[in-house]
Amino acid sequence: MCSYKKTEKSLLQRKIHDKFMVALLMISTIVVMTPLIIIVGYVVYNGIGAINADFFTQELGSPTRAIQGRPTGLVHTMVGTAVVDLLALIISAPVGIGAGIMLSEYPDHKLNPFLRIMNDTLNGMPAILKGLLAFAVIVKPMGSFSGLAGGVALAFVMIPIIARSTESALMNIPWSIREAGLAIGLPRWRVVLSTVIPAARTGLVTGFLIAFARAAGEAAPLLFTSFGNNYLPNHWTGMIFGPVDTLPQRLYSLAISPYKEWHSMGWAAGIVLLSFVIILFVISRLLTKQKH
Amino acid sequence: MKRIKMIKSIQLFVLFSLSLLVVSCGGRSDSSSETGSKKSSKSERITVLGAGASFPAPLVTAMADDYRDITNNRVTVNYQSIGSGGGVRQFVEQTIMFGMTEAFLSDEVIANIEQSTQGKAFNMPITLADVVATYNIPGVDEQIVFNSELLVNLFLGNITSWDDPRIAEINPDIDFPSIPVTIVHRSDGSGTTNIWTSYLSSVSKEWRDRIGFATSVNWPVGVGGNGNEGVAGAVMNSPGALGYNSLSYALLNDMDYAAIINSSGNIIEPSYEATTAAADIDLPADTRVLFTNTPAPDGYPVAGFAWMLVYENLEKNNAINSRKEAVELVKFLIWTITDGQNLSEDLGYARLPQAAVDRNFEMIRQIKWEGEKIGEELLKAAIN
Repeated sequence: MCSYKKTEKSLLQRKIHDKFMVALLMISTIVVMTPLIIIVGYVVYNGIGAINADFFTQELGSPTRAIQGRPTGLVHTMVGTAVVDLLALIISAPVGIGAGIMLSEYPDHKLNPFLRIMNDTLNGMPAILKGLLAFAVIVKPMGSFSGLAGGVALAFVMIPIIARSTESALMNIPWSIREAGLAIGLPRWRVVLSTVIPAARTGLVTGFLIAFARAAGEAAPLLFTSFGNNYLPNHWTGMIFGPVDTLPQRLYSLAISPYKEWHSMGWAAGIVLLSFVIILFVISRLLTKQKH
Repeated sequence: MKRIKMIKSIQLFVLFSLSLLVVSCGGRSDSSSETGSKKSSKSERITVLGAGASFPAPLVTAMADDYRDITNNRVTVNYQSIGSGGGVRQFVEQTIMFGMTEAFLSDEVIANIEQSTQGKAFNMPITLADVVATYNIPGVDEQIVFNSELLVNLFLGNITSWDDPRIAEINPDIDFPSIPVTIVHRSDGSGTTNIWTSYLSSVSKEWRDRIGFATSVNWPVGVGGNGNEGVAGAVMNSPGALGYNSLSYALLNDMDYAAIINSSGNIIEPSYEATTAAADIDLPADTRVLFTNTPAPDGYPVAGFAWMLVYENLEKNNAINSRKEAVELVKFLIWTITDGQNLSEDLGYARLPQAAVDRNFEMIRQIKWEGEKIGEELLKAAIN
């Protein structure tokens, strides 16, 4: 009797305890979600009015265009963002993957502790410094602000993220797969290239997308590299070798401007940037799910 | 199974990047079809890159819009408003084809450039305008009047509330609320600051000795805004704020701005006529002159030029890669000081006085590309 009662009580206690903890977890989830929902809601509320056909097909031009109600939009900004971010991905992917392979496949290498510290330092470095570096190594020698310089600056943002995600993606591949390759006489580099990397592809792509989304939101490294443009460049080469506009930087300049019309365009630019980043994260989530 | 999933995921990624490409190509073909219809071959199309002062930015970007139409999209002038400090810096670094500033180049900078490029750096006045005191005082819709003493005391932080009797003394008809004065100044290197502080220095010994005038000074009080844009935004958003902007920003944004009593004792409302009156001075050959605190009876006391910075030997500027680009830069320059001036009044800028246009022509005649006097040729072609 006595012992039965005791267990019943403790079961009730446990249930209460459990409910309490679940409630706590739910509260913290809500706390985490609230700012995101508020931000998304606020951006959409303020910007949705400025989204129309002109917004996606016209160039910005001067502030008087917007004030006088002439057609104005951010097509050059969206195109510029796509170009600069893709350039950054093309530059950073080989370097980042290389570093990731080094960290995961050659764990005993003497340089690895150093590489790991350097990678973390690069990751934690303020983005504006990466922009200054790109200014010094690309803009000054070439004598021109350019999409390429912006791509290099953003590549500095992407490289450590890609290196880290590559390392963890490769680490997830069981050692038995490598051993199988080595057992049939493949050299080490061949094992990495032909068995480990194909097995880890999904993880690698996820890493790219996360790095891509991170870099897509950076404004500071672009201020003195891709510089900004009120129009589409005259020729496609102007996208790479001339100044181009990017969403985060344009969003900043629209936001600090005094013109009401530009404010709502800034919010609309925020919607575009936000949906772009959210789509990337959703894709990367789907990819990781597919893996299991 | 796993392999198929992997292939799927790669397909997804490829699809995604393709869609990005399509977006970008869509944008491009859009613009090229626009321009293609206007019969201009792609190889001739030129971008002229300039940056600097925010003071003339509304005018220069409007000029760029018009110039693009006039040239059938053949010449795009990309002007970025980064402040006079940034404009001079990037001009010296040779990352832009022309700079803009309302604080002319110092002798030292010009001497350095002369050494490195074997040629001069020209300060060419493109436009001129008033720097106005913009304010945001709830309940006050009338134009308030300041005298020099009041402005100095406000910007020194000696007057901290709008209902201070010294303000009421000059504005007896206005009922000021009892709210604190928030001074808004520029946080970046700024020619507008240069003009504003040069006025305060010329009317107050205390200001001259304690703070002086420059593109950035040690402000005794206040908060900073980035660019004319940032100052205008901050003034509009904070009740009790007092800042300074080029007149254009006040007009474009329906901001309240003050009249100032000039050295002749007249109350002068900012306008392009008042700018022109103030700018009626003996202009030196290199046009490097400030005309704040003008003795002209109808002149607004806080006005100044915005100069375009151009190298004499254009091929020495790293940002200019070909003779074609140099030619288009000079053509645009000639257009801004001639036909381009028609845009001035509507945006709150004064037309260049004839003396300034003449000085500019003198300087343009000296502009060279690898020794060839392209300035002279283009000017001849443009004027006839």
